[in-house]
Amino acid sequence: MNSFPDDPKNTPSRLGRRGLFAGSLALGALAGGRWASVPAAAAALRRTAVPGTVPRLVPMRPHADQITDIKVCLRPFRAAGPRLDVERVGEKVVIHNYGHGGSGWSLSWGSAEMAVGKAAALSPRRVAVVGCGVIGLTTALVAQRAGLDVTIYTRDLLPHTRSVRANGSWTPDSRVALTAPAGPQFADTWERMARYSWKSYRDYLGLPGNPIDFRDSYVLSDTPFDAPEPEPENPGQKGDYATTGMPQQSSEFASYGARIRDIIPAAELLSAQENPFAVPYARRAPLMIFNFGAYGHLLLSEFYQAGGRIVIREFHTPADMKSLPEPVILNCPGYAARDLWGDRSLIPVRGQTAWLPPQPDVAYGVRYKGASALSKSDGLMIQGFDMSGLGEMDGVGNSFEHADRSEAEKAIGIFENLFARFPAGQG
Amino acid sequence: MRGLRAKGLCAALGAGLLALAGQVAHAAPSRAGTSYYTAAQAERGAAAYQQFCAVCHGADLGGAFDVPPLVGRFAANWSGAPLGQLFDYMSKAMPLFAPGTLTQAQNADLLAFMLHENGVPAGRHDLTPEGVKTMLFPKTTAASMK
Repeated sequence: MNSFPDDPKNTPSRLGRRGLFAGSLALGALAGGRWASVPAAAAALRRTAVPGTVPRLVPMRPHADQITDIKVCLRPFRAAGPRLDVERVGEKVVIHNYGHGGSGWSLSWGSAEMAVGKAAALSPRRVAVVGCGVIGLTTALVAQRAGLDVTIYTRDLLPHTRSVRANGSWTPDSRVALTAPAGPQFADTWERMARYSWKSYRDYLGLPGNPIDFRDSYVLSDTPFDAPEPEPENPGQKGDYATTGMPQQSSEFASYGARIRDIIPAAELLSAQENPFAVPYARRAPLMIFNFGAYGHLLLSEFYQAGGRIVIREFHTPADMKSLPEPVILNCPGYAARDLWGDRSLIPVRGQTAWLPPQPDVAYGVRYKGASALSKSDGLMIQGFDMSGLGEMDGVGNSFEHADRSEAEKAIGIFENLFARFPAGQG
Repeated sequence: MRGLRAKGLCAALGAGLLALAGQVAHAAPSRAGTSYYTAAQAERGAAAYQQFCAVCHGADLGGAFDVPPLVGRFAANWSGAPLGQLFDYMSKAMPLFAPGTLTQAQNADLLAFMLHENGVPAGRHDLTPEGVKTMLFPKTTAASMK
């Protein structure tokens, strides 16, 4: 939910992809004799726009008295990564698809494709999907596209499911696994899921209502990005997941983003002229976002249009699955699996987002001082994801699914202060 | 706490006898005369509810946008299901911020309160962790609605 693709780890050379554009704008500079060649100019510029030509940013209006909603989510984290195995319950075949941590939205299509592949191999005519969060709904659609008759059994529909309490941006390796328990095999599985999802989401770009969109995401810092950061470890805490059964430090969390850097837009360092914020260091990268309302309604419409059926039902034990008429069940309960399936390997990771009125003319996001602000179609989202310096450990093991208004106000305050000094050089 | 536990134990013995009286609860869960809980137990449950549950499920059990209610749709979800499953779920999963931290007696009291709030009349015997194993969540009728 909070790792951004413009991580310092992902800073490859962008000459290949941007050479053409950078070259064209470098011609002027060449004429001025500052560089010996177009490639040299492009390398020196390391940017896609001429200094001073960056569109003026409309300021955000982040004030605590503008809060319209505070949402709390429990990311369903598993140290070994999502549960994707197959289990028999009586006569039924149950294919699990849950436990995606803070990466459920991002990995939904790829994970669904894998689960449905297993179901399809059994050649059922019809399948059940249990759960209707983003994983359940997406899995149901993928099953329909594989030619299956699908019934979703669920207690709640969007927007009442936990999925909708995420921040809704492309964060495919946010608390999705711990490196060691997940092992190298999951890294390969993750890459297949991430690539499949990324391509699937591209199909939903540019549609009415912008269910899926891109935002420029600015990451701001008071210190240089290449300055060594203090390790956000837990002071006084020893051990790791292997010895304690719980992650203990940020460094245990898997980071797979580098595996797909060939398709994810890289971050670029902004020069002083390009940086509209009164903060000395800024990076910018395009970020894919999921607009919950538009996207959720679209998925549901597609499901119904393809003949899908939804039954409102709450399951009390795994044995209840035996009563379903479908022989194959795609199990997508999310965090509820902890109690429904007794899966104690599910660890809650609390996250909270505050929502302010939409600002459609603000087409970007900002990340600063452990908080992020992101303009989406259903509101200005503000999340304090690491305001205590805990890094990836923030919220781990915390299942308090109740809004903390003071946390929300603190996060909003970071941006209120930032935009009081905006744009740089004024006021 | 100790007092509550002791009470629960005594009540468990009583409920054992009740269970032995035949599968009454199974056969006709909402039948008049079935004793689910006592009024005193529901009162204890009400106090525990306000302490541990109301912060999320609301003082009136109505839930919230992101939190399931414990009346209304809740009754439909559980109607006819083994009460023991609900008791187990509460014992393991609730309260969400500290799952499994309430005592058996507290959970029995809470369940008694929830039954009361769902229109199930009080009876002569306390609800017990043993007793719930042979009971079904009674069906809500128009008459039992508050």
